[in-house]
Amino acid sequence: MISGTTALFVWTLRADNRSVWPHVVRGAFAFMMLFTLALAWTDAFGTTRIGLRFFETICGLNILIISVAGISYFSTAVTEEKDAGTLALLQLAGMSPLAITLGKSTSRLVSSLMLLAVQVPFSFLAVTLGGVLWQQLLAAWCALAAWLILVANAALLCSARCATSGRAAAVAGSSAILFFLLPAVTRTTTAAIPPGLLPNAVLTILTNLPGALEIVSPYRRIDQILNDWQNTGFFSSQFTLSLLLAATCFAVSTLRLTAWARNASDTDSQSGPAKRRLPVERCWKLPLTWRDFHFYTGGWPFFTMKFLAGIAVYAAFVAIQQVSTGRWNIVLENDFGWTAMLVYASVLTVEVLLYASGSLFSELRQSTQSTIAMTPCSAVSILLQKAAGCLIAVLPAVFWSMFTLAVSHTSVTTLVDMDTIVVWGLMLIFSSHVAALFSLYTRWAALPLTVLVSFFAFFVIAGPVLTIPDVVDRIAITHNYRPSRLFAWTITAFWTWLFTLLPLQLWIRDQWIKLSRQ
Amino acid sequence: MRFQKTPAVRTVPVAVHQPQPPQDFVPESQLQSMPAITRDTVPAISVSGLSHAFRGHQALSNVSFCVLPQTLHGFVGPNGAGKTTTMRMICTLLQPNRGEVEIFGSNVRQNAPAVRRRIGYMPDHFSMYRQMTVAEYLDFFGTAYGLTQQQRDRVIGDVLTLTDMEGRRNDLISGLSRGMQQRVSLARVLVHDPDLLLLDEPASGLDPRARIELMEILRELRRIGKTVFISSHILSELADLCDAVTVIDRGQVRYSGPMDLLLDSTDQQPLWNLRLTTVLPGIIEKIKALPGVAEVTEPEFSSGRDFIIRPAEGLTGNDLLREMLSLDLPLASFGLQRRHLNDAFMDLTTRGVPA
Repeated sequence: MISGTTALFVWTLRADNRSVWPHVVRGAFAFMMLFTLALAWTDAFGTTRIGLRFFETICGLNILIISVAGISYFSTAVTEEKDAGTLALLQLAGMSPLAITLGKSTSRLVSSLMLLAVQVPFSFLAVTLGGVLWQQLLAAWCALAAWLILVANAALLCSARCATSGRAAAVAGSSAILFFLLPAVTRTTTAAIPPGLLPNAVLTILTNLPGALEIVSPYRRIDQILNDWQNTGFFSSQFTLSLLLAATCFAVSTLRLTAWARNASDTDSQSGPAKRRLPVERCWKLPLTWRDFHFYTGGWPFFTMKFLAGIAVYAAFVAIQQVSTGRWNIVLENDFGWTAMLVYASVLTVEVLLYASGSLFSELRQSTQSTIAMTPCSAVSILLQKAAGCLIAVLPAVFWSMFTLAVSHTSVTTLVDMDTIVVWGLMLIFSSHVAALFSLYTRWAALPLTVLVSFFAFFVIAGPVLTIPDVVDRIAITHNYRPSRLFAWTITAFWTWLFTLLPLQLWIRDQWIKLSRQ
Repeated sequence: MRFQKTPAVRTVPVAVHQPQPPQDFVPESQLQSMPAITRDTVPAISVSGLSHAFRGHQALSNVSFCVLPQTLHGFVGPNGAGKTTTMRMICTLLQPNRGEVEIFGSNVRQNAPAVRRRIGYMPDHFSMYRQMTVAEYLDFFGTAYGLTQQQRDRVIGDVLTLTDMEGRRNDLISGLSRGMQQRVSLARVLVHDPDLLLLDEPASGLDPRARIELMEILRELRRIGKTVFISSHILSELADLCDAVTVIDRGQVRYSGPMDLLLDSTDQQPLWNLRLTTVLPGIIEKIKALPGVAEVTEPEFSSGRDFIIRPAEGLTGNDLLREMLSLDLPLASFGLQRRHLNDAFMDLTTRGVPA
């Protein structure tokens, strides 16, 4: 078993070393450190806490990247063998479940830990800049490493359980969203429930649930390390519990791998003909829109489920508000409005990034790009049709975000102004382009690179985007025209498209054509 | 109904309205072998002076050949010989560094969209939406080719009948066997009713039954007037199936012409195959003793009834047969010993993998 595991481990490390993209991602992380340093310098100049500001940003970004990209990276560890039909071959070669899970996950974990390690020396600049101690830095890196190990093994569990990479990523992603949103939602709910409405046992569970979940929360732990260092130790329950949970996930994955793989294999290669449970409507006039909507994003059943989930979330907020304030009101007020908006916007962001990074990649994975290139559809038409298919799928999240914004406008704008919402929308469109582009070059690095590039691009794009409407207004006034916000935003949208989206779109088109010819 | 199975038809339309091919496009050998083809025939594929290099590696070097319409044309060569590269250039996916490709007289470089409508390309790898049903998959490609719903309904039924997949139209592709998936791929290629089919290794990975069934379908396609350009490694089947063949090795064409000419051509005196109905002890000595016989051998794994005879210099087949009849042998068959395509292939290609 040792030789098999070592062979698989060494092979994946070598492949990682030979591939350009892991090095690009590591380089991007180093660049991110430099950029964040410059940002912290300008942001906190003149204070004694530049180092703290710098390190806080680094930690925040790392948590985001580990949570978003780690899930997609690790949830395919075993399913990529299932997708390729090679899991059975590995088992035939005498590899035990432990050898497979170790070999497939350890190499990925090591290369991910290397991404953290590459940042550690740079992070010590924070000590020099002031506001943070070296002990705090090390404790924070340990907390991040523990979070990475937990995410890796939880995603490995999904990968071992699910039959395909898509399902594994969906389950792991949903679990992560639930993990981050559940404490806030539960806390708001329990605070709003009048005493005596629920049995004490249920109320106790609801009251303790956020705290229990937050024990392993990296955000809470980093906040504790950086802002309350005197009252916390080097290792905390977050570190220990994360490793324990990770070990449990790994053990379950290993013990159940054979049985789950057998089930998946039986389902896949059943003796009789495979039929679909739910019928799919006839092909639309835009065939690739139809294909992406129905066969990539889940079609009408998923669309309906997402729409109904949107209703359920809104109804839950309205109900909590009614219980809390004692009056029925469909308009969400105070914290309820922007919390609901935050939930919808988060779901929309995750959905858009996942679809953008997976839609074109799904064609490459099935080797269908040259087959569809042979049809009379042009490359631009193919790309637009695919984008349209994914856009239909995100309509429920768009609808509920817009609905919440429109209905609970006052509450939402207490936290963020309209300009920020527009910038977020533009950044989302930009990030989706970046994710689509990276998915044509790299299999798993697309999402982390998208997060990093979007982080840098935010500072480049947001400034002009927020400034241009004012400039347009001033020009209008000097020429005796009445300033129009809509006109100003149209100019901004055009500028953003011309200088940021159009080059990306042309790049995506050219790369797609190149891949279609391979 | 274009795809109904029909009796054998071997008429070759002469496209008088289309530009004439250069005089040397259709080799003399092909014209002699196929009397229905005239000099006015526009080749289905004409490749001239095709050269292409990938990162310094010369994949194709001055490749020229032509494929006549309504024929089954084999394309063989060792791995890395340049078959797939040539195929991808013919189907407009790849632009050659040098040389021209014309499909029914249209230049692929200048008229790529028009050319794509006339060809159906089946790549050498599975490229299928496995989560669709067979009918959905064909419906998808029918729509992509701009067919109306009525046309799609009709054509899907036709191609499924032709490929014997009618009973599996509502099955998910992921649940089909490899052979059936290959049939679905073939059905997909036929959805927009192309005149020319480019099939890159369609039989690879198929079991013998699936291969034989696939070859039957290809014969049927030729009968209904399609031109089929097929690359394959299974030479024995190609020899029976194809009218013509192009052999390519290390990016260069070694032979292009009728299959019969390739299999019959040899530098030595032709060999004749004799088969008896019963085993006769000592018969080989009697045959050897005949004045017109230079050499007699028994083929490997022979049952004692088969003999390969090399006649004496200048002796024709008729003369040899006459001598055999003089022995009053229980003859089952007597005919020219054809070379196997494997032998021709080995003679034409070089050992080893190109660097």
